[in-house]
Amino acid sequence: MKRFRTLLWLEHRRSWVWAVSLLGSLSFWAWGVKQVRVMDVVQRFGIRAGLLGLAAAIGAVVLCLMIGRIRSETRHGQYELLLLTPPSGYAHIGARYLYATGVAFAYYVTIAFLFWWIAALAGIRLDGRTLIELILAAPFYGMSVTLLPLLAWTMLLMVFISAYRISGPGWVPGTVMILATPFAFRWLARGLFSISYSLPGWRLFTRAPAAMIERFGRSDPETMLQFDEVVYNGLPLEPMLILLVLTAVLLAIAGRIWQEVEA
Amino acid sequence: MLASLENVTKRYRTTDGVRDLSLGFPVGEIVGVLGLNGSGKSTMLKLLAGLLLPTAGTVAVFGGSARGNRARTVFLGETDTLWPWMMPSDASRFMEGLYPDFDVARFHKLLDVLEVPRRKTKAMSKGERGRLRLAMSLARSVKLYLLDEPLAGIDLISREKIMTSLVREWHTDETILLSTHQVAEAEGLFDRAIYLREGRLALDAGAEALRERGKSVVQTFKEVLA
Repeated sequence: MKRFRTLLWLEHRRSWVWAVSLLGSLSFWAWGVKQVRVMDVVQRFGIRAGLLGLAAAIGAVVLCLMIGRIRSETRHGQYELLLLTPPSGYAHIGARYLYATGVAFAYYVTIAFLFWWIAALAGIRLDGRTLIELILAAPFYGMSVTLLPLLAWTMLLMVFISAYRISGPGWVPGTVMILATPFAFRWLARGLFSISYSLPGWRLFTRAPAAMIERFGRSDPETMLQFDEVVYNGLPLEPMLILLVLTAVLLAIAGRIWQEVEA
Repeated sequence: MLASLENVTKRYRTTDGVRDLSLGFPVGEIVGVLGLNGSGKSTMLKLLAGLLLPTAGTVAVFGGSARGNRARTVFLGETDTLWPWMMPSDASRFMEGLYPDFDVARFHKLLDVLEVPRRKTKAMSKGERGRLRLAMSLARSVKLYLLDEPLAGIDLISREKIMTSLVREWHTDETILLSTHQVAEAEGLFDRAIYLREGRLALDAGAEALRERGKSVVQTFKEVLA
C-alpha cells in the first residue's frame, strides 16, 4: 500500500500542472457560457449546453495527453528509473490511471454543476434527486462509456510503442495500433448498439421532463415522443458494463506489457 | 556466483550490443568494466540490471533471472533520470516509498558528504545531479551495484567525492561493477578489470595480477583496446 501511495504521489507531482490547468480552464468555460446572450431562452440554453459539451470533449483530449506522456519520459530517461522500481507494472499502470480518473471525475462533476447552473439560469428548477443524478450518475455513465476506455487505450498504446523501441522499430506497432483504432471503435460501437437494452435500462432524469415542460411548455409531439422514450427506457447498461470490463482488460494488458519493456 | 552471463548476445535493430559474452561475478569485488564507446559496457550492465533482455544466452542474478531480481540490485545509468522538479527531499520520499532497503539516514549523510545542494534538480549542475543520483543509489543496501559511467561529464572535484564515497560505503560482501572512461582516476578502486571490444570480451584480468606483471590497468587498456 505504501508503494502504491508513493506512486500516486509521484503521479501527482508529475501531473499536477496539467490537472490544475484543466480544472482551472472550467472558470474560462463558465465565463464563456455567461457571455452567451441570445434572446431566445431555448436557443440560449442550447448554445450554453453545447459549449459545455465542447469543454467535455476538449477535457478528454487533454486527459489523454496527460496520461500518455510515457513517450517523453522514455526520451528523458525517467521511464528507466520507474522500470527498475519494485512495484509491478500493474501497480504503475494502476496508479497513473487512478490519478487521471480522479482528475477526470472532478472535471466532469464540475461540468455537471455548470450544467445545473445554466439550467437554473434558463429557469429550469431541478429537484434534489435529479440534481444528484446530474452531478454523480451522469458523469459516471458518460465517463464509463467514453473516457475510461479511451484513457486505458491511450495507456496501452504508449506502453506498446515503448516496449518495442529498443530491439525493434517502435513505430511499426504504434502505426498499426493508431490505424486500427477507428476500425476497432466502429466495430465496437456497432456491437454495443446491437445488444443495447437486452437488460433493463438505467433510468435517470425521470423527473427532468416535468421540469422542462413546466419551464418551456410541450414541444412538438414527435420530439416529445423521442424524449419520453429515452427517459422511459433509461440509459442502456450494456455499453457501460462491457466498456468497463474492456477498460480493465486493456489496463491488465498494459500492466503486463510494462513488465516486458526494455530501457 | 552473485551474477553471471553465459553466452549472452544482445541484438539491437541492426547491431549487436554484446556478442557471446560469458562472465561471472563473485561476492566482494569491485570490477572495472572498461572499453571504448560502443564496446558494450552499458548493454552488459543493463542486461544484469534486467533493463534489457538477452537475444541469446542466459543472464543470472542471485540465481534467478535478472528481470525478476531487478529490485534487489542498484543500477545507476548514464542517463540523467531525475524529474526537473525533484528536490533531494522528493528523491528521499520516492526511494523510501518504493525501496524497503533504502536508508533515509544514510541518504542524508551521503547528501552532506557529497555536498548535494537542497534545491530542485533543474537548478543543479550536472555534477550535483550526478552526486544526488549516486547518493540515492548508495543509500540502498543491496549486494550488487551496477554503476554505468557515474563519473561522465562531472568535474574533477565531484569525481573525487564520488570515488571517495564509493570506497567508504563499500562493504566486503557487496559487488560493484563500475564502467568508466576515467580509467586512470578509478584504477585504484578495481580488484578486477574487464575489457570489452565491439561487444566481445577482450580481456578479463585481476588488477593484482596485472600489477605483478608490471602493468597497470591503464597500460593494459591502451594495449588491449588501442
